[in-house]
Amino acid sequence: MEGASPLERYLESCSGQDDFSTAPHLFTPMSPYDLELPIQTAEDGVFAPQLNQPKELHTDFSSVDLSFLPDVTQDNKEQNLSEDGHETQEELDGSLPSNEDSGVFTDESSLSDPGAAQPSPEASGVCPPLTPMTPVTPATSSESSGIVPQLQNIVSTVNLACKLDLKNIALHARNAEYNPKRFAAVIMRIREPRTTALIFSSGKMVCTGAKSEEQSRLAARKYARVVQKLGFPAKFLDFKIQNMVGSCDVRFPIRLEGLVLTHQQFSSYEPELFPGLVYRMVKPRIVLLIFVSGKVVLTEVVLLGVVLGAGAVQSLSHGCSGKPLEASQNSLCRVAPP
Amino acid sequence: MAARGRCPECGSGSLVEDAHYAQQQLVCAACGCVLSEGLLTTTYTDEEHLREVAYSQSTGQKEQRSRCLQRGIRRVQDLCKVLQLPAVFEETAVSYFQRALQLPAFHLVSLEKKELLGGCCVFVTCRQHNWPLTMGSICSLLYAKQDLFASVYLSLQKELGLSVPALSLADLVTTHLNSFRLFQPTANVPAPFLEDREKLLARTLGIVELASEAWLVTGRHPVPIVTAAAFLAWQSLRPGPRLSCPLARFCRLAGVDLPPPAHLRLKELLEILLGMASQLSWLRGFRLDKKTVVKHIGDLLQHRVFLLRNAFSQDGEEQQDTAPGQGSPSQDPERACPSAGKRHGGRSLRPLLPPCLIHPRKRLRAAAPSAPAAAATGDEPISDSEIEQYLRSPEEIQAFRKAKGWL
Repeated sequence: MEGASPLERYLESCSGQDDFSTAPHLFTPMSPYDLELPIQTAEDGVFAPQLNQPKELHTDFSSVDLSFLPDVTQDNKEQNLSEDGHETQEELDGSLPSNEDSGVFTDESSLSDPGAAQPSPEASGVCPPLTPMTPVTPATSSESSGIVPQLQNIVSTVNLACKLDLKNIALHARNAEYNPKRFAAVIMRIREPRTTALIFSSGKMVCTGAKSEEQSRLAARKYARVVQKLGFPAKFLDFKIQNMVGSCDVRFPIRLEGLVLTHQQFSSYEPELFPGLVYRMVKPRIVLLIFVSGKVVLTEVVLLGVVLGAGAVQSLSHGCSGKPLEASQNSLCRVAPP
Repeated sequence: MAARGRCPECGSGSLVEDAHYAQQQLVCAACGCVLSEGLLTTTYTDEEHLREVAYSQSTGQKEQRSRCLQRGIRRVQDLCKVLQLPAVFEETAVSYFQRALQLPAFHLVSLEKKELLGGCCVFVTCRQHNWPLTMGSICSLLYAKQDLFASVYLSLQKELGLSVPALSLADLVTTHLNSFRLFQPTANVPAPFLEDREKLLARTLGIVELASEAWLVTGRHPVPIVTAAAFLAWQSLRPGPRLSCPLARFCRLAGVDLPPPAHLRLKELLEILLGMASQLSWLRGFRLDKKTVVKHIGDLLQHRVFLLRNAFSQDGEEQQDTAPGQGSPSQDPERACPSAGKRHGGRSLRPLLPPCLIHPRKRLRAAAPSAPAAAATGDEPISDSEIEQYLRSPEEIQAFRKAKGWL
């Protein structure tokens, strides 16, 4: 079979491959780069040559053409520094502690961002002297980022506390659809607020599509009222918001491969599966889908307290124009109704 | 030593444990009937009643692996052998598999998924040791559908709480190039198409890095990019006879699959290269197009940092520290200020951004949150008329019933 032959060739040639776990370092770590922001210019001179090294993702990269190094002179250094800090993986400060990018970012220099990348030492399996990444609550700096996540969807549940006859409901309601072979619930929609509800025969109901918690509650009440009018003794018990989905745009492109290297414990980036990076923030417990265009989707925001939202995003992404954030105090920051 | 119990034949109570050759037997002393033999020591009280304990009920059963587990472990070991992985990988993968199979999430799934589970464990182990193995290769080994593999992989990651580092692109390039059949003379590869492996590898790595700096790699499937980069590198190493060979033919000769996005990546790469070439002083005189720029890839890669910086505006804002010799410095900022990213050439440069930002797909956006002030509390009164509009009138119900033949 034709498909096997590339594999066989691959296998034969694999036998002569390098041992990945014991590849030597190709570059020495720099002096510890203490990142008291803003960056002192004295350190720029040390840093600039590092900027222009090739991305040493594979330590056995001895055949790389380093002849472009002389191109970069001291005058160009500033320009390099004010470039997008997205080239996180090109800056190879092997010895930078990894928790420097938590905390407040001032955006005078984008150097703060690249420093956190540790591509090659990790790639070679040799553990660099990194301090473990501690989950840090995103900083609430005093300057406003102006980024406000927009709520896109709210999922809530409510218990109508009575058994329902789904066929009856589907017959008597205009806005209901019921296909028992496909799904065991009635799908009902109302126009204002524009929402959809799944109504189960046990009396439980799921309401989705609302853009705010109040709208979700209002919509759920309307559905309950419809069910009441259809002749069932429906009540309105245990209304609870289960999930909120918001989206926002940080307005700069994000180096996902750099982000996954620095926040390895929290992020999962599989370009073969999905173009975005899935970041599971610990505190507050949200899942963010971060895309290269800078758009971020925040989800699984099950509120137990105050949520910080997009403020967290920007402090993670190594922004060039890293406008520091404050916690967005808007719609995401509310306590769930009991 | 007499054990308790009675002989079923004669009813006598004198039972003796005796050894017949090497086999322990329980014999009735009165009639000589053999009650049981070859009793294994178990902790079950059945033994007291001198009944044989079936092996499936003894403690030995708990120590034995289920057939499913055995098969799965064999599968994992076979996969590791096929991929020629070190022994340490095999042990890790087997241990992951054993742990995963005990969890309810994987124990009660279809056989197909259990087979994929073995492959996922191998894949996870490889990634944790930075061994460049793509999902595509594992799927082809397992004859699995990629989306099913993806779902098993994600649930495995979640259930076992594994942290899997990202795929290293340079390693991927190295191993992917190893599968190209262009390094030794074979029947269907013409002589001018043969290439030296090290040179091709070096140049491909350079192009892949360039693509990564130019935002062509983030968020995209890596293999098409590597294929397109290898193609460009191969062409540029000996442009004469190779420029006329299209990408599809190249992949056929090399014995590699041509992934569909590779054409798009090739186009994007060429666009970047053309932009860079416009900044190279000794090429300014030429009118370069997609074919001819390939000849100069070597030079472009050599000076790529400088060229990228000059060819593309970095931020969308003006750069204050433009090249020297610009003219009166006072005029410079003014000229640069109104238009973003203008350079001394006076051309407007495209910003160095991911393609999804440069060519945004037009999307009809619903009106931005026109927050209805009405739903401020969620507890407003609901009018009856509003609800009635959602209910069917009796005539409608009749008509509907007739039409549907329900109830």
